[in-house]
Amino acid sequence: MENMEEVTPLPKSTSVERAPLNQLAKRPRVGEIIIEAALFIAAGISIITTIAIVIILMEEALRFFADDRVSLVSFLTETIWQPEANHFGILPLLNATLMITAISLLVAVPLGLASAIYLSEYASPRVRGILKPALEMLAGVPTVVYGYFALTFVTAILRAVLGKDLVQIYNIASAGLVVGVLITPLIASLSEDALHAVPNSLREASYGVGATKFETATKVILPAALSGVAAAMVLAVSRAFGETMIVAIAAGAGPKLTWNPFVSAEPMTGYMVRISGGDLSYQSLDYKSIYAIGLVVFVVTLILNIISQRVVARFREVYE
Amino acid sequence: MSQPPPDQPSAAPAAPATDLTTLFPQGEGIQAQIARRQRNATIWRFVFLGATSLAVIILTTLLLSIINQSFGLVAEQTNIPETQLIVNYQKSLMLEASNVALSSEDDAALAEGIAADAAGVGLLGNAYTTQNQDTLRALSIGGVAPTAETVQSGAYPLARPLLLYTTATTVADKPQIGAFLAYYLQVADEVMAEIGYFPLDEATLAQQETTLLALLGATELPTIVPAEYEGDIVIAGSSTLNQVTREVAKRFRAEGFQGAIKITSVGTGAGFAGFCAVDGGVDIVNASRTITQLELESCRANALNPVATVVGADALAVVVNAQNDFATDITLEQAGLLFSSAVNWAEVDAGWPAEAINRYIPTTDSGTMDFFVATVFAAQTLADLPYDSLVTVFQANVSAGRCRAAEAEQRFYADRFVCDTEEAFTARCEGENPTTGCTLAPRDHASLEALVQAEVIQPEVLQAWFLAESIFRRDEIVATALEEYPSADVHFRRWLTWDFITRPQSATPELAGVRTAILGSLWVVGIGLLAGFPVGVGAAIYLEEYANKRKRFNSIIQTNINNLAGVPSIIYGLLGLTVFVRVLEPITSGAIFGVGDPTTANGRTILSAGLTLALLILPVIIISSQEAIKAVPSSLREASFGLGATRWQTIWNHVIPNAIGGILTGVILAMSRIIGETAPLVVVGAATLITSDPSGPFSKFTTLPIQIYQWTARPQQTFLLIAGAAIIVLIILLFILNIFAIYLRNRYARRIG
Repeated sequence: MENMEEVTPLPKSTSVERAPLNQLAKRPRVGEIIIEAALFIAAGISIITTIAIVIILMEEALRFFADDRVSLVSFLTETIWQPEANHFGILPLLNATLMITAISLLVAVPLGLASAIYLSEYASPRVRGILKPALEMLAGVPTVVYGYFALTFVTAILRAVLGKDLVQIYNIASAGLVVGVLITPLIASLSEDALHAVPNSLREASYGVGATKFETATKVILPAALSGVAAAMVLAVSRAFGETMIVAIAAGAGPKLTWNPFVSAEPMTGYMVRISGGDLSYQSLDYKSIYAIGLVVFVVTLILNIISQRVVARFREVYE
Repeated sequence: MSQPPPDQPSAAPAAPATDLTTLFPQGEGIQAQIARRQRNATIWRFVFLGATSLAVIILTTLLLSIINQSFGLVAEQTNIPETQLIVNYQKSLMLEASNVALSSEDDAALAEGIAADAAGVGLLGNAYTTQNQDTLRALSIGGVAPTAETVQSGAYPLARPLLLYTTATTVADKPQIGAFLAYYLQVADEVMAEIGYFPLDEATLAQQETTLLALLGATELPTIVPAEYEGDIVIAGSSTLNQVTREVAKRFRAEGFQGAIKITSVGTGAGFAGFCAVDGGVDIVNASRTITQLELESCRANALNPVATVVGADALAVVVNAQNDFATDITLEQAGLLFSSAVNWAEVDAGWPAEAINRYIPTTDSGTMDFFVATVFAAQTLADLPYDSLVTVFQANVSAGRCRAAEAEQRFYADRFVCDTEEAFTARCEGENPTTGCTLAPRDHASLEALVQAEVIQPEVLQAWFLAESIFRRDEIVATALEEYPSADVHFRRWLTWDFITRPQSATPELAGVRTAILGSLWVVGIGLLAGFPVGVGAAIYLEEYANKRKRFNSIIQTNINNLAGVPSIIYGLLGLTVFVRVLEPITSGAIFGVGDPTTANGRTILSAGLTLALLILPVIIISSQEAIKAVPSSLREASFGLGATRWQTIWNHVIPNAIGGILTGVILAMSRIIGETAPLVVVGAATLITSDPSGPFSKFTTLPIQIYQWTARPQQTFLLIAGAAIIVLIILLFILNIFAIYLRNRYARRIG
């Protein structure tokens, strides 16, 4: 820097000198273009995947509805699902899925929210260092393991407590409870992020006017982070709705329209797994029906995901 | 985290209450309110802590409940126990050997034979050895000679009890039997010593008296007056005990017994056969070994419940001719050689002459033989038998038809047939329905072992108990199990064993393993990562480094990826099924490359499964790689551009090396996710039962989680237990792969960064 002054200024470049420079800049670099194209294709694969999912589900579902034995109206309104008797009413399957989702939320919302508040507002770094990885590990357990847990442990407990006459071996309640365990870490971790993002000034102000920690957490921080917490809940609903292995193992086979959570009733995803795991021909109506059901699952979860993203984007409070 | 957060309202006053009430009358109400709020805050603090700790509790419960299922007591029944199979096989080898000079149930004849043969060796009870001390000599085993002390202390390895078997019903029906037994026990010590066996020690004798009392239904041993009894007594069995029983019977008659006593020396096995048969007519069995599981079963099948009375002890001696001057002490192993594979003495011990061994052994029904083989080959399992022996064992224990079928599935030898014929085999393989044996390589030792296990031994767990019950209620369980399953063996079983991990899949849960599934998982996850990693990272680089974020198309890509991350995995299964299995079948089945697996011939292959999982983890990898790339400061890029580097040079030399740690973390997350992924693979079409290892990307597939699902879906309890064991394997595999990946990341990230 000190020698700056000694440097002789560059002579003004003539047009003769500029020409090759320009050429250098414009020279097409084949390698670079190929690489960019390849990377673009890589990014495009995700679009192709989405399009493929939509097309495949639509096409196969259309084929399903094109069959004489099926109609869209009966699919949506009929209350019996018996492929062998040509009854294709999705309500029993949908009902079981919704019941499981509801039960799982009953477990996961209080647990997940309480964990988020504890980890964000109360926990000392040491306690956090133990509890947070435990929660994350809970999220990393393969769902088939949860299914096994639901069937062999939770169901056994339910039967022991409530009686074997009341609780069937395969039942909605145990599947729902365990799905709740599965989505608890999701709610906890996303809500904690939201709580954490609330600036400290709010906390300090609250303490300053004499609020307890509990009052601060529930009356100041939680409302401030509500959009993030709500988005977490919606995402959790979507996850519970599409959860497959737990319900396939623990909720039982055979669609049934029931309000009793202690009997077996097959949810949508469970049905899809059972049919595709069997040895039915690709051309059979049962096989086509799983695409129609898959379309319903896909649309519902997609809408929930979009809502979740919108909630975050629109209602995010911008602090400072 | 915020500053020292007050757990109580900060307005809490420090002044004494008395002052406050006078100065500020409303204070008490406020104080009460503050106390209430404090209490609330504390209570809620613990509620929140409890809810959070629940994660730890659930995790622990989950692991414990799975461990609880994977170990415990079982009541297991086999068609023929493995040890018995080996005893039978070794016995037949011993009997069929060419150098057997004499095989007889007449121990006196054996003793005579050895006495006349300088190269002779035999197995004799202690009585015959002591009676023929001039011509015979017993070898010590492992430095321990057969004497009264070594037999009673158990130091002599071939010491065995001598027993009489009868049943409570026989004793009740025929009073003379009970009388004879009681008399036997009274004189046993004297007669045993006289003939050359070993008397019982005090404790054992007292035990036998208690057993006898229970049998007789008396409280005190009566003084037997033989003259008061009549009726016949039929005794059959061991040649070893024969002499003793004859002597006791002689005395019994001498004291006035009216009935006839018939004693035959047919061998312990034949004795039990007569005893357990309906109307077999045998009242008492002379036994030189305890009853086997199989004999017990056949007895119980006829509602006979054998009760043993120990009357003495014997030391089974390995006996040589007195002129034999080289052999004095042998090991148990050498004893085995001496009577099985060795042909001449030098093969047993290098210091001995290379002369032929002449064997003098009992017959196949002999308890002596059973006892000797069971003791000498006690540690042997099927795995120790050579391949040819296993083939012989298999052939000997199944029907000819079943043996042919097994050979049609997979041949035993490449160059010859055991049960099938060359013509039949060729005809079948050239016909319309060739069997798998036409193309598969011959069986190996492990698969033959599995075959023998499944077809001959046929283990079956009738009932299993969980670990907790097995520990805390052990005695109760054992008692009820013995009552409920008289023919079963109740023992502690670990379902998760090394065998379980290394054995292939099987339709019999007791013999099933997870090797095929583990290999399948590694293949599928490997292909998934191989395909998903470059595409995912490439997409992330494009979105972060190339894409103009203001362009609508690129923001669509971004939103789309976020949405893809939330699509349920089963939907990816439908995608994979349609695209990879059905549309791209020529590629995914390998047909287009001409390398397809002939047994599959459709698109339900490892490749299809791997590609489906690759699509599934794409969003995970893209999003985490984007985060990592975003975190690279733009000053680095600008510096690189400033030096004239192209975009790709900048990315390759500066962006990626700085982001690699974060990118690889995303890959690890993705891997953890797909190792446990089940639903999409079931939809894509996992095979239900494959016993052969995957040979490449075009093989049929199964993975560990699928195996767990399929076993869990079975109604039999045993499948649930092995599913639990498989879950432990899955968790361990998840753990190992994670550790490995984290190690790789740390190493790799450090070197480049």
